[in-house]
Amino acid sequence: MRPRIVITGTGIVSALGNTRHELFEALLRGESAIRQCPDWEDRISGSSCILAAPVDVSPEQVKSISRHNRRSMGPTALFAALAARSLVSDAALPQEMLASGRLGCIISSTLGSASEIYTSAAAIVQGCLNDLSACEFFKIASHSAAFNVANLLGICGVQLSPCSSCASSLQSLGLAYEQLLLGRQEAFIAGGSDEVAPIVLDFFRLLHALADAPDLLPQQQSRPFDTRRSGLVVGEGAGLLSVETLDFARGRGATPLAEIIGYATNCTGSQISQSDRHSIARCMQTALDDAGLSPADIDYISAHATSTTAGDREEAAAIREVFGDKVPVSSLKGQLGHTMGASGTLETAVVLEMMARGLILPNSNLEQTDEDCAGLQLLRSPLDKHVDIVLKNCIAFGGVNATIILKRL
Amino acid sequence: MATESTIQLVNQIFIDKFELDASALTPDKKLFDDLELDSLDIVDLVSGLQHSLGISLRDNKELLQIRTLQDVYELVEKLLAEHPELKDMARK
Repeated sequence: MRPRIVITGTGIVSALGNTRHELFEALLRGESAIRQCPDWEDRISGSSCILAAPVDVSPEQVKSISRHNRRSMGPTALFAALAARSLVSDAALPQEMLASGRLGCIISSTLGSASEIYTSAAAIVQGCLNDLSACEFFKIASHSAAFNVANLLGICGVQLSPCSSCASSLQSLGLAYEQLLLGRQEAFIAGGSDEVAPIVLDFFRLLHALADAPDLLPQQQSRPFDTRRSGLVVGEGAGLLSVETLDFARGRGATPLAEIIGYATNCTGSQISQSDRHSIARCMQTALDDAGLSPADIDYISAHATSTTAGDREEAAAIREVFGDKVPVSSLKGQLGHTMGASGTLETAVVLEMMARGLILPNSNLEQTDEDCAGLQLLRSPLDKHVDIVLKNCIAFGGVNATIILKRL
Repeated sequence: MATESTIQLVNQIFIDKFELDASALTPDKKLFDDLELDSLDIVDLVSGLQHSLGISLRDNKELLQIRTLQDVYELVEKLLAEHPELKDMARK
């Protein structure tokens, strides 16, 4: 009989709040993290209006991490570190547990740090690499968030970093789930982190993936499933969850927030820039099979939906195929923007709050459902509903899909 | 005895790179034990000295003997004596 795996706490850094309660309340009030970033206009070529959903971290928050730990952190790792400290408090993780070797750390992101990669590349091109710190590489290494959190907290168990762009954090959570099922550890800190920087926007702009509707206000630009959607708005932050076996959690007196009852990940194998409805549907069905559930058992779907034309269309088609219009669906990216490597677990933290309160947050800026996204129960206002079982999707560059299923305890 | 300009040059590197307060920078301070630097910081210290002085210290074996802030002052004084052309740069 396989062990039961539960989530016992959250630690987040977001543009709209630094606890899941704060973030939920801000989203419920209709706040948007999306704004113009005029300071970046000279750094991003060919764009007249730079939109993003950046996080404001105060100098006091930054300095709260010692120089010794902070020197190897770019913004991505810094967000993860701040979220990790918050998680330790939320989940009441004692130091002896962190340092026991029985707790692991699975944290990932799109890149180690986009801004520091840019700084390093610029230094190489300008011939002043020697001016960089000895710690520069540690900021850009792909597993920077994971090892920086492990070193900050004294974690000496399993350390993994499945970097897979927008599926990073959900794959981290799923990998923690699998590692616990295998009995490799008793607990994990799992999730993802990511940063927005001009170079990130440049890459998305090259792909014509950014929202660009001059007739809409910044906070109206990210509009998942809407007929006027034109692309995504990049955000940033971190979302970390403590994941434990139920026995271990009960043994130390922790209160589970939800149980992970199913997980699946796959890829499309035919397209590097986006996934497709068939593989997304297959992923969701595989997660349902892992949970021993049928589609009718799902009370809510937290969609990935980033407000891109193709991405929303394919995910909508997959949801329609598996669930029809029987399950309420929403994406949080209309207000939060797309926090990339953080999105899966950052949004899961909000989902946990929805489950606790019996209140599902809607799609923001959904004024007219695109016909390609029709046939779903897309929420346009908050829904009072007892939510027992939630399915959460992440879909990433590389054609990667990840689905996790949570059950309220 | 290190000159005031040498002390200022060296101390500024410690202030900028290691977030140390000027009041903590006395000549007797041990780099590892008192100022809590480690091997990665020493790499950055050398980088800072190279940048401030405008010379490469990559093959300088005397760096391995540095233990205190006074040792750093004396090394810089020695380098300036060996390279008089650097004195103007160091004063900048």
